Amino acid sequence: MGLKLMAQQRHEHSLALLRIGAVWAVLILGLTITLTQLRIDPGYLVRRSDILFKIIDGLWTTIGVSLLSVAIAAVLALVGALGRLSDNALAQGLSGFYVSIFRGTPLLIQIYIIYLGLPQLGLQLQQAGFRELGQLFILDALTSGILALSLNYGAYMTEIFRAGLQSIHHGQWEAAEAIGMTRWQILRRVILPQAVRIIIPDVGNQFIAMQKDSALVSVMGVWEITYLANRSARLDSKYMELFLVAAALYWLLTIVSSFFQSRLEKRMAHAYER
Amino acid sequence: MNAEPGPIVQVRGLHKWFGLLHVLRDVSLTVQPREVVVIIGRSGSGKSTFLRCLNFLEQPSAGEIEVAGLRVALDVGQRPPRDRVTAIRLRTGMVFQEFNLFPHMTALENVIEGLVTVKRLARAAAVPIGERYLDKVGLLEKRDVHPIRLSGGQKQRVAIARALAMEPQVMLFDEPTSALDPELIGEVLEVMQQLAREGTTMLVVTHEMQFAREVADRVVYMEDGAIVEAGPPDVIFSAPTSPKTRQFLERIL
Ligand SMILES: Nc1ncnc2c1ncn2[C@@H]1O[C@H](COP(=O)(O)OP(=O)(O)OP(=O)(O)O)[C@@H](O)[C@H]1O
Ligand SMILES: [Mg+2]
Repeated sequence: MGLKLMAQQRHEHSLALLRIGAVWAVLILGLTITLTQLRIDPGYLVRRSDILFKIIDGLWTTIGVSLLSVAIAAVLALVGALGRLSDNALAQGLSGFYVSIFRGTPLLIQIYIIYLGLPQLGLQLQQAGFRELGQLFILDALTSGILALSLNYGAYMTEIFRAGLQSIHHGQWEAAEAIGMTRWQILRRVILPQAVRIIIPDVGNQFIAMQKDSALVSVMGVWEITYLANRSARLDSKYMELFLVAAALYWLLTIVSSFFQSRLEKRMAHAYER
Repeated sequence: MNAEPGPIVQVRGLHKWFGLLHVLRDVSLTVQPREVVVIIGRSGSGKSTFLRCLNFLEQPSAGEIEVAGLRVALDVGQRPPRDRVTAIRLRTGMVFQEFNLFPHMTALENVIEGLVTVKRLARAAAVPIGERYLDKVGLLEKRDVHPIRLSGGQKQRVAIARALAMEPQVMLFDEPTSALDPELIGEVLEVMQQLAREGTTMLVVTHEMQFAREVADRVVYMEDGAIVEAGPPDVIFSAPTSPKTRQFLERIL
């Protein structure tokens, strides 16, 4: 009986998926027809497939920047969250300050400050005789972009990590303490594995948002999707065509990331299913 | 001839404040090896706090605690040395009301966690020990099951195995059956009774008076953060000296 019920539920579930898929297909078809009617020229993409592939090439830079930035952001967020949760006033103050600044200012400004503002400081230092130190403040576009994205998203993710760590019942700490584990061991073996499962949906959302925010590094001329689309579009004034390509690439990236995210969530749920 | 072995737990003049709340007021207690001491008392009388001070899950405010030869004496405001606390925790096992099993680990992984991370045993060496203790609580066949798939009674038995696997010299139980459905209490008490028979030194906070009567060597009655009276169960339950104890027992029996 239970099996029959489950089979029926699964059947209804796939039916619903099918219907939703149909709606999507109609929407995409409609969009394509409308765009063609508007004298958009999809043929351009075929005629100038060299441009198309160049933009697609930018995908790898976008993926690379996002992956690296989210990884660094996660490390910053873990450190930040531990700071916020510590009973040390210095650690609390530092992490609170960090979160406040980087959540409180636009990402684009942060990019400008790191890429254009810091070198000013670096030059001054160099003039004062600190050559090596000054050099550290002069960053190329790619590094600046990754640094800004990491710091910005690290601030948002600090709050996510903090909430995740706090959501673990204090009994888990106590049980681990009672068998003699150190704080670091408890964090690594008991708390983090549980917290990670809880924060994966939120971190996934941040990663997906970051892929799109990474478009902002195009202002520094990093050869990612947006920059390449923008630059190529100017040649023949094919803005709609090429920005639609760029948009589609970001969209595809989001869809693929969501897919991997839900697979990861399912895998981590294993221990918690009856 | 027979060198008299000293007490395994010795508490003198223990005080605990939570802010202005004076929760433990000059508590002293001595426990001999192989003894089973059951602590009873009203809600809020400080039973849990007392037990948790013994392995420093709660920081005692002042007093002296000696567990298995390790002594910590604290004046008001002093903190115990960290390595001493760890050493004491290795000699005590604790079982909680809410089990507190690690949900992301299987039953066996729960039991061997301390062996692997704290005692630094190789996994291959820890597994047989873990299996032995799971077997002891009758749950060897659940070794690869995650806590969510265990009943409350089974969870608590795994938690007992986890504490035992560290081979502590004293076991602390804080209301181990209070979170259980009535029909599951028996299986946990049975395991505890078995441990008592084998000579495990145990301090048990519980509301199970039947268990106290049958298993305890000594029953301690606490009220308002102090030990009012302690003695063999038949004395405490049938002829308590203090009117406070009598009043408490009349209400619950
Ligand atoms: N972390 C804490 N902070 C502040 N007060 C606390 C804390 N833990 C316990 N208390 C207080 O200390 C007193 C003793 O609590 P304790 O938990 O030791 O009692 P208990 O005898 O175990 O009660 P119960 O039978 O309900 O478990 C209570 O008044 C309680 O409110
Ligand atoms: Mg209690």
